[in-house]
Amino acid sequence: MILKDLRTQYLRPGMIMFAFLMPFFMFFSFAVRRDMAAAQGVARLLALTTFFTASAAGPFIIPLERRVGTYDRLLAAPMSLLTLLAGKAAVGALFAMGVSVFSLLVGVVAFGATIARPWLLVAGITLGSFSFSALGLIFGSIPTRNPGDVQMPSTLLRWALMFVSGVFIPLAEMAPAARAVAYISPLTYAQDLMNHAVLGMGTLSSWLDLALLLACGLLFMVPPVLMHRRARRLGY
Amino acid sequence: MSEAIVVENLTKVYGRPGTGLLAVDQIGFEVHEGEVFGFLGPNGAGKTTTQRMLTTLLEPTSGRIVIFGHDLARDAYPVKRQMGLVPEESNVYTELTAWDNLMFTAQLYRVPRHERAQRAQQLLESFGLWEKRNVRVENFSKGMRRRLSIAMAIIHRPRLLFLDEPTPGLDTQSAHAIRDLIRQLNAEGTTIFLTTHQIEEANQLCDRVAIINHGHIAAIDTPERLKAAFRRVQSVEVALEPDGQTHGGALSALAGVTHVVKMGDKWRLYTQDPSMLLPQVTDYARASGLRLISLSTLGPSLEDVFLELTGQQVGTIRHDMAEEGPRRRGMKGQMGGGR
Repeated sequence: MILKDLRTQYLRPGMIMFAFLMPFFMFFSFAVRRDMAAAQGVARLLALTTFFTASAAGPFIIPLERRVGTYDRLLAAPMSLLTLLAGKAAVGALFAMGVSVFSLLVGVVAFGATIARPWLLVAGITLGSFSFSALGLIFGSIPTRNPGDVQMPSTLLRWALMFVSGVFIPLAEMAPAARAVAYISPLTYAQDLMNHAVLGMGTLSSWLDLALLLACGLLFMVPPVLMHRRARRLGY
Repeated sequence: MSEAIVVENLTKVYGRPGTGLLAVDQIGFEVHEGEVFGFLGPNGAGKTTTQRMLTTLLEPTSGRIVIFGHDLARDAYPVKRQMGLVPEESNVYTELTAWDNLMFTAQLYRVPRHERAQRAQQLLESFGLWEKRNVRVENFSKGMRRRLSIAMAIIHRPRLLFLDEPTPGLDTQSAHAIRDLIRQLNAEGTTIFLTTHQIEEANQLCDRVAIINHGHIAAIDTPERLKAAFRRVQSVEVALEPDGQTHGGALSALAGVTHVVKMGDKWRLYTQDPSMLLPQVTDYARASGLRLISLSTLGPSLEDVFLELTGQQVGTIRHDMAEEGPRRRGMKGQMGGGR
């Protein structure tokens, strides 16, 4: 399913726009004319890439598959719903990891950034990609055949999560109230983890960041399962 | 005879029970292993809803489905491994080649790795797609996609195959090829559940048919028994020269005619007693100085049965004459009457 999805869905113009170009646009729109070290920029770009790329897959691909009927093929196949959804999350995560590697290469080659803790970078990109891909599945589980119906609410939520997170204003510089809100966003932990990995320092414990990203990923798998069951029961 | 499918008191309400839309209401039927079972009904009757429940895509609101002895609500996995599904729209991956579509489906259904290529080649050859195996499916015609869709549904050699409207929109040659394919699959032992609103197709293919209307099963039997039960829906078909609308009034006034329908250059006179009507028609032609081009008696078609059972009047829907040849049993051809 992974190879099939990568070949059939991920090179569509919508996916290239929302999953590949969007994080770069977001990064450059906030990075230009700001005094930022290369490593700091790379950490932000990596967090944004995993977040936007991984979370774009579900809301775009599942409604498209519903429209052409191929999603029914998967639902009727001999596998559990959880297996299907975990597979979809894995494809989105793999794609986000690939784009993150590209972002990393841009950072290292073009800006001369260095990586302080490579293993943490690998763990952060992997866990972050899976967690955000599962977040995208929540929107992909809205029973519609039109990706446009899902893009609007998913984009709204993702932007809100981005703005309240510590991507553009470091956690340490936030007012206590803003920091409390930032902890709601899983992107905050991904950003802090990237800071640990690239810069060698972060605000929270890197282990806490990893644990919370894993917890978010697992938690985000619950609504898609419930939403699919509900759709099957009510016939949506 | 063992049962492939047993359905008991199956009900589906779209939305919340009480406020939702009742699509299927307490239906029950059995499909015998090895038969072609037709599921007929007009649009919105509940055919596709029933099929989606049988293929686990929808959860019944109430009732029970047992397939090959497994209760679908509790034990769907072994059933899913033994069934194939061909939905109304050919759900193939258009970005992949025919070969890759088959390989993906074979993996999905856990066909042993060493058998995948052999089965795919066999299917592509027998479906006339081998030469196009490396062509992306987006370049395929509708008929080719349909054939590929069926090939994908049977690559794991299912015991039970669900086909939803397999031929509408296809050219005659493709539709014929798919009907032959269904017969061949059935001859090899596959139980077929055919959902269709093409009555003649069901007549040609099915061992038994169920007619569903407004969410209820109106009848289940073999096509011939259903027709026999509706002997009252018999007719005499006549073509006169010169033809004209004026014949309608005169023909409907003949004794025993229940109603008359103009069908192209022919008139169909519905009656309970064709033998009594035939001499009256020839007398009318002779008396009016008309040439009798053809005169046939017709038994009830499955379409007539369908229309009777679904509450529509016979003759209100166009009858496809090209498909009705085999049921004619009367004097067909040139007749030199009326002089």
